[in-house]
Amino acid sequence: MSSLTATPSENESHITSYPKFVGRSLWLATEGSLAFYAWMTMLTAVFLVGANAWANQVAGGMIGTNMTDQVSWGLYIANFTFMVGLAAGGVMMVIPAYLYHDRKMHDVVIIGELLAIAAIVMCLMFVVADLGRPDRFWHLLPLIGKFNFPISMLTWDVIVLNGYLLLNLHICGYLLYMRFLGRKPNPTWYIPFVMLSIVWAISIHTITAFLYCGLGGRPFWNTALLAPRFLASAFVSGPAFIIVAMVFIKRITGVGGLDQPIATLTKIIRVTILINLLMVASELFTEFYTGGSHASAAKYLFFGLHGKTALVPWTWTAIGLNLTAAALFLWPGLLAFRWRPLLVAACCMAFVGAWIEKGMGLIIPGFVPSTLHEIVEYVPSQLEWKVTVGIWAFGLMVFTIAIKTALPTLKNPAKY
Amino acid sequence: MKKLKLRITNLVFATTVFLVVIMTFGLYLKRAERGNPHHDRADVRGLLQVANDDKVESDDKAFAVVVHRPAGPPRVALAGVDPQGRRGEVACSTCHSVRKANLENKTTDTLNEFHEGLVVNHGKLACYACHNPDDSDSLRLADGTNVAYQDVMTLCSQCHGQQATAFAHGAHGGMNGHWDLTRGPQMKNNCVDCHDPHSPSFPSMIVDFKPKDRFNAPAEHDQEGQ
Amino acid sequence: MAEQKPSLPVVENFSRRAAVKGAFATLGAGAFVAAVSPLRQAAKNSTAAEFMQQHYQELTAEQKAEVIARLEEEAKENYGVDVQIADDRPIPNTKFVYAINLSVCNGNGKCVEACHKENNHDRDTNQSYIRVLEMPKGTMDMEQGSTTYSGAVPKDDKFYLPVQCQQCDEPPCVDVCPVKATWKEEDGIVVVDYNWCIGCRYCEAACPYHARRFNWKQPTVPPEDVNPDQSYLSNRIRPVGVVEKCTFCLHRTRRGKLPACLEACPTGARVFGNILDPDSSIRWILNHKRVYILKEELGTKPAFFYYFD
Ligand code: SF4
Ligand code: SF4
Repeated sequence: MSSLTATPSENESHITSYPKFVGRSLWLATEGSLAFYAWMTMLTAVFLVGANAWANQVAGGMIGTNMTDQVSWGLYIANFTFMVGLAAGGVMMVIPAYLYHDRKMHDVVIIGELLAIAAIVMCLMFVVADLGRPDRFWHLLPLIGKFNFPISMLTWDVIVLNGYLLLNLHICGYLLYMRFLGRKPNPTWYIPFVMLSIVWAISIHTITAFLYCGLGGRPFWNTALLAPRFLASAFVSGPAFIIVAMVFIKRITGVGGLDQPIATLTKIIRVTILINLLMVASELFTEFYTGGSHASAAKYLFFGLHGKTALVPWTWTAIGLNLTAAALFLWPGLLAFRWRPLLVAACCMAFVGAWIEKGMGLIIPGFVPSTLHEIVEYVPSQLEWKVTVGIWAFGLMVFTIAIKTALPTLKNPAKY
Repeated sequence: MKKLKLRITNLVFATTVFLVVIMTFGLYLKRAERGNPHHDRADVRGLLQVANDDKVESDDKAFAVVVHRPAGPPRVALAGVDPQGRRGEVACSTCHSVRKANLENKTTDTLNEFHEGLVVNHGKLACYACHNPDDSDSLRLADGTNVAYQDVMTLCSQCHGQQATAFAHGAHGGMNGHWDLTRGPQMKNNCVDCHDPHSPSFPSMIVDFKPKDRFNAPAEHDQEGQ
Repeated sequence: MAEQKPSLPVVENFSRRAAVKGAFATLGAGAFVAAVSPLRQAAKNSTAAEFMQQHYQELTAEQKAEVIARLEEEAKENYGVDVQIADDRPIPNTKFVYAINLSVCNGNGKCVEACHKENNHDRDTNQSYIRVLEMPKGTMDMEQGSTTYSGAVPKDDKFYLPVQCQQCDEPPCVDVCPVKATWKEEDGIVVVDYNWCIGCRYCEAACPYHARRFNWKQPTVPPEDVNPDQSYLSNRIRPVGVVEKCTFCLHRTRRGKLPACLEACPTGARVFGNILDPDSSIRWILNHKRVYILKEELGTKPAFFYYFD
């Protein structure tokens, strides 16, 4: 495939060579096997279903969702929160690669960065899906709109998320472009950005936690542990996704050199999954041992309140998945090659566990009981599921295309 | 190794600077916003003080507080109609002027000619604690002073001083119209508009309007929940 | 088309593939346009003028007049009534404060209904800015309360706690709004510019008193029920997809009148006034009664007081 890459002459201007690079990348990215086309067609179809559902939501009002004035955020914001974590989790490849000079990691670190890009795109889409007036989106733009910075944490989030997107686009774009030009990347053009992206990754998730934990009227969120918990679970879900992605990339494309990064990430999850469980346990102890009305959201989440139990199955599923995944990760044999399917299963469990814990298990109980202690339950409507799945499909499309673009780099890491 | 250490130190330093700068900036701007006089966020105690030495629009109130008054002494409808088919009404004194007052009576149970069935549930008061035995078309105070029916509030206020004080300060009895008397009048009820003088406790009511929160018609809520 | 994998780009093959890819892309784009076609209908209902409208605080007097004329026209078109939308500004030296006597309130809910009618709320949902909690005597814990009680009131062992926007002096709802669509005015009323709000509902999450409502759909109000006496920041019929809240009936109170919920209260439990006026009823209450505020520990500094006789 590398034969497709023309090497432009040394003195060609970036103005002409960069569009060439973009065009070439797109061409390559849309090239593939039947299975690839089938996969993309499937994702497109699902995405279109979601787009249609969203259009209906905008046209008919958000009455089509199951959100209420009591539970005013639902599945969208739940997914948004999780996606921020996924984006931040991508950085878990960058840290070993650039801070500890893990050579093997260095070659594949771009997978983490591309995941971050796809996840942020999904984040932004979830936020837009949640807006009652997406047509007024321009009100959020600094200068032409009215940006309540720095008082509103949401404006911080808008800034850091877009900043993170740009950072990662720059890093990935630069590395791939240099490869296209056949040059060795100049560290001064990307190492500072990589360092910044590490700090930035932490900041996106911290600020997303601040969105919730700064609200005094919501005792369930109003805890200093929220940001650290977010980070810990992000560092489970991000690496878990990357491991699964790498296993598939290896299986499908035969890219080598992925086993050692997989091992490193598994070791990282081993630690972070325990830290996450520890923090959850500490949170639960504080809630339940103290009791009182602050514990009512937790009670609702775990056992139901006044006979209302909509979230109970979700929670216990998450706990079951998280504990099983933790047990599997702690088992040293998991890294053995013949246990690959089990590793993938463990990653999936950790991933889904984190998704529930941070989505339905965190956003919804913040609203139940409501601030007047009404118990209004929330179960996402069909429309919400369609939009959500549509956005996931779009994210996977972005990720697939991004990975395809980077495949030549992954295949011939020796080039730089 | 040295390079690695240097890099980590750099990174830690950069993080700290980043955090300190954004935090300071954020806090500063938040302060600035809070200090903005436009926002008028002084607490109540502060406001009370300000207002005390700075009398605001307490004078030249152009409009009055109008307390509703009863039309006059009650008139009693006669049973039946006269040959011309007209209904008649008489004053209390029509009967009571020819009857001896029983100053002890406290209940309608003892009555067999008139007022039967009237529910009296007003402390241990006798009828003539408030009605005037000497002039049945008016009321009387505890000290014997005559009070017109229109001024019934004076009578009630003898015992219900707390409510009377609150009423005088707009904290009892409700009102309609204007809070700002420079712009329009204010109308207020009198005691017997809301309280039946013979059985003054406020009647029980039926709740007939309930918001239906989306998807949650009241019927779906479990009352036993609590 | 993927049956053969060329090792080198062959020109004919290249163009054939490009054509196939182009066809697929066109197909995809067409399908996308079809999928989001409901948006076209939504776009029909909103004018360019509405889309371009600036934030309330940035409108000049003429722009305001234009906007209001447009809104009145829209009300005529969509609801079939002639309405008057005023732009009531705060009265100088006024700060509104509300108080409720919980010894007197019997939970009959007339205030809830009056709010519903006065403020042109959606008729389908009986929406209202006020919720009344029925609480067991002997506790202040809202956990034990219920908003869905019915039947005859008051019940012997209960007291009733009406809750609406507390017009906080430190309003968390204002702080969180990313676009400054909601702010506190000089007379203490926290208002929303319904034409600027983007409907993110962050303020709804931030308010500790369940004071904010979202317009999940376009409100329905039959023409004969529309209250035509409206104000831009207050009871004009709200657009879909934005947040609204109690404004202490600023279209009344800024003209010196009492709020609708107070006038409707048959027990006289409600007291409203200007705290800066030393002779006002509200001042007398604050000075003579033991008042308390809801959720004081949150530091929101409500301008809404409760007291018992
Ligand atoms: S009660 Fe809620 S909506 Fe009203 S000012 Fe306070 S925080 Fe804002
Ligand atoms: S819903 Fe509207 S008023 Fe509330 S925070 Fe969002 S933009 Fe501001």
